[in-house]
Amino acid sequence: MTPAGSLLIASGLHKAYGPTTALDGADFSIHPGEVVAVMGPSGSGKSTLLHCLAGIVTPDTGTITYDGRVLSAMSDRERSALRRTDFGFVFQFGQLVPELTCVENVALPLRLAGVKRREAERAALGWMERLEVDGLRAKRPGEVSGGQGQRVAVARSLVTRPRVLFADEPTGALDSLNGERVMQLFTEAARSANAAVVLVTHEARVAAYSDREIVVRDGKSRDMMQELSA
Amino acid sequence: MNAWIQDLRMGVRFAFGGGREGWTRTLLTGVGVGLGVALLLVTTAIPSALAARDARADARSEHTAPQAAQPGRDTLLIGEADTRFHGADVHGRLLKPEGPDAPVPPGLTAFPGPGEMAVSPALKELLASSESELLRERLPYRQIAVIGDEGLIGPAELAYYAGSDTLKQIGGKVPRVTGFDNSAEPEPLDPVLTLLIVLVFTALLTPVAVFIAAAVRFGGERRDRRLAALRLVGADSRMTRRIAAGEALAGSLVGLVLGTGFFLVARQAAGAVDLFRISVFPADLNPSPALAALVALAVPAAAVAVTLFTLRGVVIEPLGVVRTAKSARRRVWWRLLPPLAGLALLYPMTGRGNDGGEFNQWQVSAGVVLLLVGVTGLLPWLVERAVARLGGGPVSWQLAVRRLQLSSGTAARLVNGIAVAVAGAIALQMLFAGVEGDYTKQTGQDPSRASLSVRANTGAGSPEEVAALTRRIGGAEGVAEVIQLTTTGLSPAPDSLEETTSLTIGSCAALRQVAQLDSCADGDAFILRGGFDDTNTDAVAKPGGTLYSGNVYGTEDGPPPVAWTLPASAKDAVSREDPDGTKRNGIAVTPSAAPKGLGDEQLATLYVRLDGSAPDALEHVRTAVRQADPLLSPLALQATKESERFASIRTGLYVGAACVLLLIGASLLVSQLEQLRERKKLLSALVAFGTRRSTLSLSVLWQTAVPMALGLALSTAVGLALGAMLLRMAYAPVVIDWVSVASMAGIGIAVVLAVTALSLPPLLRLMRPEGLRTE
Repeated sequence: MTPAGSLLIASGLHKAYGPTTALDGADFSIHPGEVVAVMGPSGSGKSTLLHCLAGIVTPDTGTITYDGRVLSAMSDRERSALRRTDFGFVFQFGQLVPELTCVENVALPLRLAGVKRREAERAALGWMERLEVDGLRAKRPGEVSGGQGQRVAVARSLVTRPRVLFADEPTGALDSLNGERVMQLFTEAARSANAAVVLVTHEARVAAYSDREIVVRDGKSRDMMQELSA
Repeated sequence: MNAWIQDLRMGVRFAFGGGREGWTRTLLTGVGVGLGVALLLVTTAIPSALAARDARADARSEHTAPQAAQPGRDTLLIGEADTRFHGADVHGRLLKPEGPDAPVPPGLTAFPGPGEMAVSPALKELLASSESELLRERLPYRQIAVIGDEGLIGPAELAYYAGSDTLKQIGGKVPRVTGFDNSAEPEPLDPVLTLLIVLVFTALLTPVAVFIAAAVRFGGERRDRRLAALRLVGADSRMTRRIAAGEALAGSLVGLVLGTGFFLVARQAAGAVDLFRISVFPADLNPSPALAALVALAVPAAAVAVTLFTLRGVVIEPLGVVRTAKSARRRVWWRLLPPLAGLALLYPMTGRGNDGGEFNQWQVSAGVVLLLVGVTGLLPWLVERAVARLGGGPVSWQLAVRRLQLSSGTAARLVNGIAVAVAGAIALQMLFAGVEGDYTKQTGQDPSRASLSVRANTGAGSPEEVAALTRRIGGAEGVAEVIQLTTTGLSPAPDSLEETTSLTIGSCAALRQVAQLDSCADGDAFILRGGFDDTNTDAVAKPGGTLYSGNVYGTEDGPPPVAWTLPASAKDAVSREDPDGTKRNGIAVTPSAAPKGLGDEQLATLYVRLDGSAPDALEHVRTAVRQADPLLSPLALQATKESERFASIRTGLYVGAACVLLLIGASLLVSQLEQLRERKKLLSALVAFGTRRSTLSLSVLWQTAVPMALGLALSTAVGLALGAMLLRMAYAPVVIDWVSVASMAGIGIAVVLAVTALSLPPLLRLMRPEGLRTE
């Protein structure tokens, strides 16, 4: 698939942490509603690619364009605002705020965007129902299982109706049964919301939920579909 | 027992062999405990240091030294020639050995010759500086030696000994001494001052103990996770507790070593520090061996006890630490026991300060410690209860409140030290303010009428000499007016000592300083009524009668008394307090009505009024006086004068409180940073999905501010209760000085704000997206 009509495009990304090169000319593109899996072995640079695409980390060189806007030209404040409004995130360990209840965790991105508490929690409950965790609303993250916590994290990532969802090893800390269930609910919910999903994983069974796979190795990316069609 | 030793040993091994993280934690605990230990050692050494200062002052004092009436081979004339320079006292003595065996003052190896002086190192440095020109003019001697440590009360003391060949014996001003082996017994402290000292030490040391207890818990959450891993490989819960105790023991032992090191460094550095104008020699700063041994035993024991106590509410399971789940609600009843026990111990001593009765120091200390430690017990309960009721608000508030609701104990622990310190400080402030009146004398001096008074009491009282002194002072920069009064004795018979009164001579303007005069012209004489101890004026002062003035005491080497007739026109006048606060009696006359030929037999007093806008006017006057006569010392007039002992106890409180607050601030900062480090990943994740950094920063501020506000409320209540109890013990009225209460609380708030400000840069660093990296 070509970058034409893409929502998020990256080209020639380089990023080094001290002497370690994490990205070495990586390219990437994703269309609205598309699920793209970024695969690769541990330490290959796939998480760094996700962080660059999400505007969390600024690449040393290369450009990232989101919806026609160049991310690297934006200030930190603008990128933060973009992450609040257009992007959603799921991390390997959920990264739920342990002090907040599950419903408060899910409502948090809306609250950060200025939505009133009651309204935010109502929207949060809606997503929690879809992810089958509405029964956990008053529980704290420490009181729920790993799979339940990860579904709460997925609900949190979707609550702002983001256009792009970034998921970094979302099932990495779960057993296979729970992982399957989380992925099923996650991709269903994302597709129904027409959100593009950048899914970083090293597991083939997780990548199977994607429309397209990109493999990152030694900081370089390869689009598997393009290679197959070539 | 074997299991205990084995597990403790394993804990010690973990502390040192746990890689970088283990070392960091042990070092952090060690530094924390070390700072506390160093402060404990310094505090236990302060009494000996102050006693050594007193002993040094006694050893060189001429006032209580053995004296001789006549010059001899072993006699020394020593004249007090102290001065002050920019608020600092300069101890000065003029020396004139009268024989080859004259005693050499401590710190000198030989007498400086006329025109020479030996100076202390601090004075040498000051004299060499560019700002000391006025002082150099005052001490126009050639420096030939440096006074040794044994001749100084502290390393920063400004002191000199100058040689003189013109010195004459003048009573207490220039005594003739035969040695410096003084063995005067120090005055015993009155019970309220003893109470103050006990309280200052207790109130300062209790927060240090709280701090040490907090320091052994640094890195506790990581340690618990490590213990969970041990559970996974077969350790039971009792073993994990003992291993944790072993780790804490190792940290506290490192702390003891570091603390001793910090103390030795601080002891050495103390020689270069001049805090509130008090400096001590490193050699004098020696902790009492018994107290040092107590510190060495109590600190490791406390470390183990605190660790075991805090782990009682933590369930370490093989798969993790169950602390995040809701714990049982805190109960208040047992938390009230320590403060109530404290009050019960203090109550029987109510009113003892009244009749000079003694306070049982141990009972006072125990009562105060229990009351103050009660704050640490009550605060977690109060924070838990209060934050449970909080809700609503913006995201930063919500994040903070929820965190507090989940782990209010951690938050309370953070501010425990400050709360205890503030409670102690409020109580002490109340006590100090309450008994201040007993230790602050109204001098009766009136600084609005004259800034200085100079008494020409060195035998140089001839009219020419006094006139020269007046001219010299009047010519000094910044002097607005010099008022001169001279005084001599009056007697109805040339050899009568029974009925004497005084004769004050001065211009009309000068006489108005001592009497209320309706009219006055040169040639007038007045009979003063209403002066202090006015018993002879009526009998002696008869207008038209002959009186004798000058050497009426008939001293052998003095001139004969001068006969003088009190003018028949002498008028009655009401005495008023002079600027020194004395209401004179006797007779006051203007110069042309005064007896002639009094010579040296009169004592001149000069009142100097300064031009408030002239810089350094006071120093210029001191220099002028000094140049006229090195033995003269101007007295700066002040309305009140604080007891020196009371003032030095209060100074001790300020020095100690400053150290304790610094220490607690450091502890708060370390704990805060540790908390933030624990949450590094979460903070990065929150920033990743768009949380503003300001939101997180504010949340951190709320997390400290809420428990701090509750801590201050509690500590104010406890401080006021303790203060009221102490005032009752000292038999002083219970008055609350809200300004000092607010300032104590304000200092607490300032420490929290400073700590929050200092933790912001690391917080911003921790919020960087790099925190999400795992590889």
